[in-house]
Amino acid sequence: MIELAPRHKFGLPIASPVMPSAGAFGYGDTYHDLVDLHVLGALVTNPVSLNPREAARGARIAVHGEHFVAHTGLPNPGVKRVLRQYRQTWERLPIPVIVHLIATTPAETAKAAEQLSGVQNVVGIELGLVDNVTPQRALNLLDAARADGDLPVIVRVPFTGVDALAPLLADHGADALTLTAPPRAVLPAAEAVDDSEARRYIRGRLYGPALLPLLLNVLARWCSKLPVPVIACGGIAGLQDAIACLELGATALQVDALLWRDPAMLQRIAEGLAKSDSSPRSE
Amino acid sequence: MKTQDAVFRQAYPAPPYWVARFDVAHPPGPGAFVLADFGGPLREPLFPATIDANGFTVMLPPRHPATRLLPGTTVNMLGPLGQGFRLGGATRLLLVAETACLPPLLPLLEAAPAVALVIEAPTRAQLPPPDRLPPTVELTLVTRDGSAGYLGPLESQDPAPANLQRVMPHLVELIAWAECACFACANDRYPALATIVRAARIQPPPDFAQALVQVPMPCGVGACEVCRTPTRAGEKHACIDGPVFDMARNFALTL
Repeated sequence: MIELAPRHKFGLPIASPVMPSAGAFGYGDTYHDLVDLHVLGALVTNPVSLNPREAARGARIAVHGEHFVAHTGLPNPGVKRVLRQYRQTWERLPIPVIVHLIATTPAETAKAAEQLSGVQNVVGIELGLVDNVTPQRALNLLDAARADGDLPVIVRVPFTGVDALAPLLADHGADALTLTAPPRAVLPAAEAVDDSEARRYIRGRLYGPALLPLLLNVLARWCSKLPVPVIACGGIAGLQDAIACLELGATALQVDALLWRDPAMLQRIAEGLAKSDSSPRSE
Repeated sequence: MKTQDAVFRQAYPAPPYWVARFDVAHPPGPGAFVLADFGGPLREPLFPATIDANGFTVMLPPRHPATRLLPGTTVNMLGPLGQGFRLGGATRLLLVAETACLPPLLPLLEAAPAVALVIEAPTRAQLPPPDRLPPTVELTLVTRDGSAGYLGPLESQDPAPANLQRVMPHLVELIAWAECACFACANDRYPALATIVRAARIQPPPDFAQALVQVPMPCGVGACEVCRTPTRAGEKHACIDGPVFDMARNFALTL
């Protein structure tokens, strides 16, 4: 087993280092026809907030070359309805569930974390921070997530905030860190039909293979310096990418939206790692 | 849900589109789709334009990667996915489309004994050649500039200039005539079109009017939240709850 929260009283053991990232795999009721969930370490759910959130208006996705930007607005029905809708699904899953919580305000984060506490098969919270979060705000949100709940808290660190936030959060009690959230980027929404039509742009989360070298750079700089496990996330698109992440010190990894094109990739990576000895912290 | 390997057979120009033919074991039905992997970062939804037991054809924009495939190339497809059109044995079928959104309706051109097709284009040059449509289809042409057929847009009730005729009264007649009406237009037009349906048909039965929603559907399984579509019953996933929705019940401004 791989321990994602060695400092937590209950710990967060997973059988495989491979997980889908938040927002890529739904709530566990999708992809079961295409991916054998038994080979994964955990399900990381789509982002959930205390209160319902609607989808972003306007264009939500733009493709450029091998990359794309997605801006969904993180729609979700709110933690209560998510639990009502998926609690039984999660209980039946063969893998543990880590709920990705959108950290809005400390008060809301505390309430949402409290509601997740005690839900069968929910073994952890991954806290999603906004890009421009200040260090103090991030600590307050982490405190809120840990205040009334007893679940291990993983913090997903914004791409631009690793230097400022990662050591701080690790020292302040985060059980593990996900490095990193997708960076923000802007792409043209679509080709303008004619000169009279203004070209529109989408700002959103960037996905694509170019994120991998950026991720490896972050891992190379930070994994050895952080006292908590690091979960690698960003641009992982195959077994060799996963092995590189683990060799650079990551304890586990998340496959992001690149799995939409090839959902079975998750399974191939997990099975490939199981066959190799590249999962350094597995027993 | 499953993936299947389709075999690309041929592609040829049919302006303003290209037609591409794929052989596949489980082709999607009208209004349903497959997500095809053409090598880009995301799969692309393909809506069939014609369907047979061995596969389907699809209308693609010129310069689409599929138009450059070699015959015999294997293309991985996820699906069939989504809820397509549900005709329920209708014998009088009305199809309404903007030209840019027409291809997903093409499998329905001969799906009922009597089919009426209303096509709206910005101008005459963008209307499809009528000789490419089955002769049994009753065709109504609409242009936004009045250069051919009725004057659009479909939902406009403004008075028409002299010697032009608004399409709206004729559309209302067709809706009253039809047993099922299928729409393929820009999403923001559906509330107004649903209001027209409700004005023409008091208490239309479920699925009397169906609207195909045009949104990106990157994952096809409801995981990515990109295709969330606002409806009267809250947001729905176009890829699993649609992309064909009951128009009157989901998009009408008033019930």
